[in-house]
Amino acid sequence: MDYEFPDHLKYTSTHEWIRFENNIATVGITDYAQHQLGDIVFVELPEVGMVFEKGSNAAEIESVKAVGDLIMPLSGEIIEINENLADNPELVNSSPFGEGWMIRIKYSHLDEKDDLLSSEEYKQILQKEIH
Amino acid sequence: MKSNIPLIFEKGFDGEQQSFVPQMDVDMVDLNEILPENLQRKDLPIPNIPEVDIIRHFINLSLRNYGVDTGIYPLGSCTMKYNPKVNEVVAKLPGFTFIHPLQEESEGCLELLYHLSKLLGELTGMDGFTLQPAAGAHGELVGLLIMKKYFEIKGLKKQKIIVPDSAHGTNPASAKMAGFSIIELKSNEHGEVPLDQLEFAMLEGDIAGIMLTNPNTLGIFDKQIKDITRIVHDNGGLCYYDGANLNPMLGICRPRDMGFDIVHLNLHKTFSTPHGGGGPGSGPIGVVNELIPFLPEPCLISTKQGIACREKNDVSIGRIKAFWGNFGVIIRAYAYILALGAEGLKKVAQIAVLNANYLKVQLQQKYYLPYNRVCQHEFVLSDQGMPNNVTTEDIAKRILDFGIYAPTIYFPLIIPGALMIEPTETESKQSLDYFVEVMNQIYDEAKSNSVLLRNAPHNTPVKRLDAVLAARKPVLHD
Amino acid sequence: MNFVPHDNKTIAEMLNIIGANSLKELFQDIPKDLFIENFNLPSGLSESDLLNQLKELSQKNKVYSSSFLGAGCYYHYIPSLVDFVTSRSEFYTSYTPYQAEASQGYLQAIYEYQTIISRLTQMDIANASMYDGSTALAEAAVMASIITGKNSIILIKGIHPEYEEVVRTYCWGQNINIETEIIENLEDKLNNKVAAILFQNPNFFGDIEDIFKITKIVRDKCPDCLIIQVMTDPTCLGILKPPGDTDIDIFVAEGQSFGINPSFGGPGLGIFTAKQKYLRKMPGRLIGKTKEIEGQKEGFLLTLQAREQHIRREKASSNICTNQALCSLAALVYLLAMGRTGLKEVALQNFQKAHFVKKELSKIHGYEILNKKPTYNEFLVKCPNIKALIKQCKQQNLQPPLDISRYYPEMKNVVLVCVTEMNSKDSIDTFIKIAQSISNDKMEVE
Repeated sequence: MDYEFPDHLKYTSTHEWIRFENNIATVGITDYAQHQLGDIVFVELPEVGMVFEKGSNAAEIESVKAVGDLIMPLSGEIIEINENLADNPELVNSSPFGEGWMIRIKYSHLDEKDDLLSSEEYKQILQKEIH
Repeated sequence: MKSNIPLIFEKGFDGEQQSFVPQMDVDMVDLNEILPENLQRKDLPIPNIPEVDIIRHFINLSLRNYGVDTGIYPLGSCTMKYNPKVNEVVAKLPGFTFIHPLQEESEGCLELLYHLSKLLGELTGMDGFTLQPAAGAHGELVGLLIMKKYFEIKGLKKQKIIVPDSAHGTNPASAKMAGFSIIELKSNEHGEVPLDQLEFAMLEGDIAGIMLTNPNTLGIFDKQIKDITRIVHDNGGLCYYDGANLNPMLGICRPRDMGFDIVHLNLHKTFSTPHGGGGPGSGPIGVVNELIPFLPEPCLISTKQGIACREKNDVSIGRIKAFWGNFGVIIRAYAYILALGAEGLKKVAQIAVLNANYLKVQLQQKYYLPYNRVCQHEFVLSDQGMPNNVTTEDIAKRILDFGIYAPTIYFPLIIPGALMIEPTETESKQSLDYFVEVMNQIYDEAKSNSVLLRNAPHNTPVKRLDAVLAARKPVLHD
Repeated sequence: MNFVPHDNKTIAEMLNIIGANSLKELFQDIPKDLFIENFNLPSGLSESDLLNQLKELSQKNKVYSSSFLGAGCYYHYIPSLVDFVTSRSEFYTSYTPYQAEASQGYLQAIYEYQTIISRLTQMDIANASMYDGSTALAEAAVMASIITGKNSIILIKGIHPEYEEVVRTYCWGQNINIETEIIENLEDKLNNKVAAILFQNPNFFGDIEDIFKITKIVRDKCPDCLIIQVMTDPTCLGILKPPGDTDIDIFVAEGQSFGINPSFGGPGLGIFTAKQKYLRKMPGRLIGKTKEIEGQKEGFLLTLQAREQHIRREKASSNICTNQALCSLAALVYLLAMGRTGLKEVALQNFQKAHFVKKELSKIHGYEILNKKPTYNEFLVKCPNIKALIKQCKQQNLQPPLDISRYYPEMKNVVLVCVTEMNSKDSIDTFIKIAQSISNDKMEVE
């Protein structure tokens, strides 16, 4: 597979990635997910301060011919959103793990971290999904 | 950069506009006396343009547009058949166009509506019809609201609708508008509804029913249709027939006999009313006896004094559109059915299916046909195995270069790279042969000169347009 | 008649290529017991017989020489070029313009429609159309509920009764609560659960409200609440302040007045406009302007389709697919034909002629104008003998005004009179004379 899977990140089977720093989780969609959607034209992000359960839809990602969801990998409060995406949604395509990040969460349930996937585990799930 | 034809607003002039309205012949007062100045607008940024320039503008625009009257329009699931010209004449009779929906002397209109309901009933087997819905999706909403009300009155909580993954996108969207959630059912390897999974899904208990089109969006008649409707009925559900694909069933078999309780029809597909570039359409709903009380208002009945509205009842879903449906569209469908009659309508179905199979057997020699069976009104090819990874979009755009319209693409979603082809009964053999010739040439080009396809179209007023730019930075008016 | 071009020889040739022995064989998947042997439909007709039959049917309807009936469907003059353009079959026999490169003509026309509607209304964005005014209003209510996440809507009395019923049906489908209130109670009824207030202006009874008063009440009390205005005869916008100047969030209208014949109430045109910030929640098709991928030419296409049902399926905010494209083309040509000068003239004539009739009626003993606010081309009159008034109008070939008890049974002997530019001085004089005669001669009472 010609997709990137940075080792230092965690993943979900619904194609989100998560980076942890100081009890804050930064979340975006994976390289595979942005490829599947194609050229991203709009990202509808939640408002800062909103609280979501794990598994609920936090954002919608639109391409010309498809719509994808960003699903909360952890329960918690949105403390920051990537305002840059409003005018530059293409960042999700060009830099899915960097400038294309979407939300920062202050997560409330530590144990939910255990359910996240390593890059290797995510790669395996993806391989099954594709074949 | 400019487009070839400047926007009409760039033609403005300061001359005196031609007057269309009657000369003012009553005494006027100062406008400020009857409308306070702060409620008046300051400026009206609409140009005055000479009539000749308006006409030339639109004639030039029309020359950059493709209709059924231009050539074959093989858009799958859209039934783009010829629109008989006499129907346009009929719809423009002053005894129809000048009739106000609230005037009393409108027996002619009411009789037409009532009589068409009866004819549609005969064609589908349904007991009662409403002609109120303005389009197919509008009809779907009405049908689902009827389901909702039916269970509400029975005191049953039913919150889900089963929709196969091959369904038109309007099906799940309509179900949601009626307050239902969706259970999506995966089609089996024949493109049909798998009975075991249907039975399993029905066990959930709060299923209001199923929405199906038959023949389905792959153009395949589901042989097990009676088992499907029986399973749904046995579990207390209702069966909804999406009539977008009724054309090949006219005079052959009827949704009612398949076991359906609610049917919508698209008069702008099956019954030849012109699609108008996206509308207006008309989407009548037919139901079985038990559901007639739930039909929307106004509902016509025949009385000794003539055709009249049913008295308001407590269980009707209410009104879904002001006045009487898209009457102007309805007239055309009525004229079409009267003109063709029983034998003509049956011929429609037979030849629609003949034409589709004729195209199918020839195109499948080069193109991949995922479901290889006798088809009904349409069939679906795919770009799988195309030389040089040429895509469905490339094929579609190249088709335009030959002066014909492209099929429906990337639908149904269950076939990646779908090309959905519905020729309809009004295409001649010559026209179909030309389409085959074009498709064969495109396949050969894909092999020998795929760049030609990837950059297509070449002969249209504009080349392939940037849809990404349009969606990222929307410009919706000047 | 039928429109199948094949003869029997051709059918046989085609069957041969398919490898089938008969047409019936092509229906082999259909279970035998589902075939219908015969069905009870009449035989087909020739074109001339068809035409005669339908002419006869149309003559059972009455066409009046002049009309005083409006109430959501209006007689305005339609310039000849409107029908001429919409009868071009390159337009009317096309489908929704999915293949943009082969549909530039229509796409540009609808882009021009969106432009002229946003100029006329001064709203930020207009879509390519909805079915009619009533469904546009209902979809606007649903859209407001989705935007705000709230499920309570307030309707202000004076919305066309049929529109109100349609809104109720749609909202019942989505479990949205509705209350109808008179405008004076609005302030008390507003709270932070309200998704939107809906009002008609000019309203069903003809009143023109001071919109600034309404918007101020709502903005002060409930800033998140959407303000939605509907209009049934937008020809008034030739003179009336446009909704875009008054902080309206969503403005919808019935566009039938713009070049579309009454045709027993349909097809009409659902005009749908909104503030820019609601763009991605709008229902319906939108045409956008863009450029060639590899070139410099501008072109037009269906855009923001990810909002719509064919992509978003059950997550779409609306199921609308087919709209009223040909009617929006008619409206565009109408508005261009009239031009700035003509649109002002039409509005002015409607204001002035209706005012003239209002004034003349108010002079007649027994007639009372019920409107206290300014009016456009419709107003309410209490009359001494409604039955006689209606009967005599018909006898003089005038389409009588609406007996408002059709919708409001408690309002007896009140008519909703509509006067447009189509009512000549002669027809107005006849109408006034009829009114006078009924006032003077009470013996005519039936």
